[in-house]
Amino acid sequence: MENKNMYVPYLMTIDEVRLEAPLVKTFKLSFVNEEDRDNFSFKAGQFGEYSVFGEGECTFCIASPPTRKGYIECTFRQAGRVTSALNNCEVGDIIGFRGPYGNTFPIEDWYGKNIVFIAGGIGLPPVRCVIWNALDLRDKFNDIFIIYGARTVDDLVYKNELEQWETMHDVNLFTTVDPGGETPDWKGKIGFVPTILKEVAPKSENSIAIVCGPPIMIKLTLPVLAEQGFSNDAIFTTLENRMKCGIGKCGHCTVGPYYVCKDGPVIKYSELLTLPQEF
Amino acid sequence: MIDIKLISKNNLKLLIDTILNMRKIVIAPKRKSNRLYFSRVQAFADIELDFVQTALSAKSVVFPRNEELFNYIFDGKNVIIKNTEPLKQEVIIFGIKPCDASSFDYMKEFFLNENPDVHFKTHFENTTIISFACKEADDFCFCTSVGGSPTNTKGSDIMLTQINENTYYAEILTEKGKAIYDLAPNLFDINDELDKKRYTAEVPVKFDCSKLTNKLENVFEHPLWLKNSLSCLGCGTCAYACPTCTCFDIQDESNIYGGSRVRIWDTCALGLFTQHASGHNPRSIQSQRWRQRIKHKFEYSKENLGYISCVGCGRCIRLCPGRLNIVDNIISLVEEN
Repeated sequence: MENKNMYVPYLMTIDEVRLEAPLVKTFKLSFVNEEDRDNFSFKAGQFGEYSVFGEGECTFCIASPPTRKGYIECTFRQAGRVTSALNNCEVGDIIGFRGPYGNTFPIEDWYGKNIVFIAGGIGLPPVRCVIWNALDLRDKFNDIFIIYGARTVDDLVYKNELEQWETMHDVNLFTTVDPGGETPDWKGKIGFVPTILKEVAPKSENSIAIVCGPPIMIKLTLPVLAEQGFSNDAIFTTLENRMKCGIGKCGHCTVGPYYVCKDGPVIKYSELLTLPQEF
Repeated sequence: MIDIKLISKNNLKLLIDTILNMRKIVIAPKRKSNRLYFSRVQAFADIELDFVQTALSAKSVVFPRNEELFNYIFDGKNVIIKNTEPLKQEVIIFGIKPCDASSFDYMKEFFLNENPDVHFKTHFENTTIISFACKEADDFCFCTSVGGSPTNTKGSDIMLTQINENTYYAEILTEKGKAIYDLAPNLFDINDELDKKRYTAEVPVKFDCSKLTNKLENVFEHPLWLKNSLSCLGCGTCAYACPTCTCFDIQDESNIYGGSRVRIWDTCALGLFTQHASGHNPRSIQSQRWRQRIKHKFEYSKENLGYISCVGCGRCIRLCPGRLNIVDNIISLVEEN
């Protein structure tokens, strides 16, 4: 272990490509090497470095749950050099993956509690990992709420899964789009995520809230949760700073003395309050 | 273990010749375009020993400016990963100053403490450091403000102190140092311990470092960050010259046959360093990046590793095109209420 080159990635085959929203795709990846597959394990909240050979690496969460073994999924939006190259990849192509890195959501501590998932836009993938993790162990949790919003109907990711969650009698799903982002046949809510959260008002007693989305959404959602009685120790989010190495060396992701890659990315709101505003 | 010896200038030359004849790599200060750089030397005559500070540090021996992490070839749709082992070469750094030598001690702590970096580890284990106590210092030196001194042996395997025109006092400090001594023990004479301070420069203490660390914990938002960094161009010279800056980027270089994944020095002085794919930037203005530099070196490093990450070599001050002076900056922070 001591002498391992930590930068050498696993080789992964792209088994499936799904277009989730404009510029947003999900890849289902399996290990080329069976031994790698058998030795690999991760927990909800962890991330990895995905690479296109010849182009470079980029960082996303593992969007599939640890309860589904033998493969991982990632969801990304095309933005820069590497994500553009990934966007051009097809089923059967080989990409690199190193990980899992970072800390995890303390899911075992939440057994017997209500879980409120709150996500915005491309913030759903890290939350989706926890959602399926919880749904795969459904009897261990009380009520499950999912509040998910995007700018427009088109921008909602995992549309198939949203439909699936909609039909589950033991999931309370609320989807919303920003005012003006609705289509004539849109049946969900219209309004920003914090507004919808206020309206839905899930009870805070014996509840955990997981919030993930653009910085502005998180900023406006937290006071609403506080108003509803969620304590700072019952609110979790994941930080998403720029990263290169994933293992606490390259220096890119630091927030004060905190390394998002190894001390995070999962962070309790009470802990977030102790960090300087650099995320 | 400290073994005290003497070695004459002529025997020092013979020692270097012996090392070079064994085909080991010697990295020492060499003049290029009127500046001194740590370079690979072929003869003792290439080496310059009378100077205050080299232009750049010797950190690239253990943390190269760019380094291949592995390479790969394309084979149809497949990718074959190759050469995952770091290059293993024995290197002797000769003529380094105590400040730079102690930076190796910091880097060792940083790179090997958690998730040990195998490239750094390989280079570090194969590097021997022969340092020279400082005969002279200049106005930019501030080692004594950050826990060092012109005679500090931290990080050195052998330290040499010139005691007269032709003689060096030699402290054999580590097993690695002993291995060099053992190559040619007859070149050394035995000697008693002596007070090195009589032969070395004096560097006045310019600020109280523990006071600074305490102060920094309470000044995240402060008008001085902007005021003190107005002349910062964001060029990153300070970081590239710094013997303790360890940040890097990882990039691919490729062609139709394959490519390599390379790690390259990077710096928090550059705006892109923290910019998200969305365009959001947690450190969007230069004063925030300057604050990060100071707080990382004197507060966060101390908190995470127990060491501050500045050795007082003064290069960032000598080379800054905006004439930013980290010492003046620090003094203004410490004295501010």
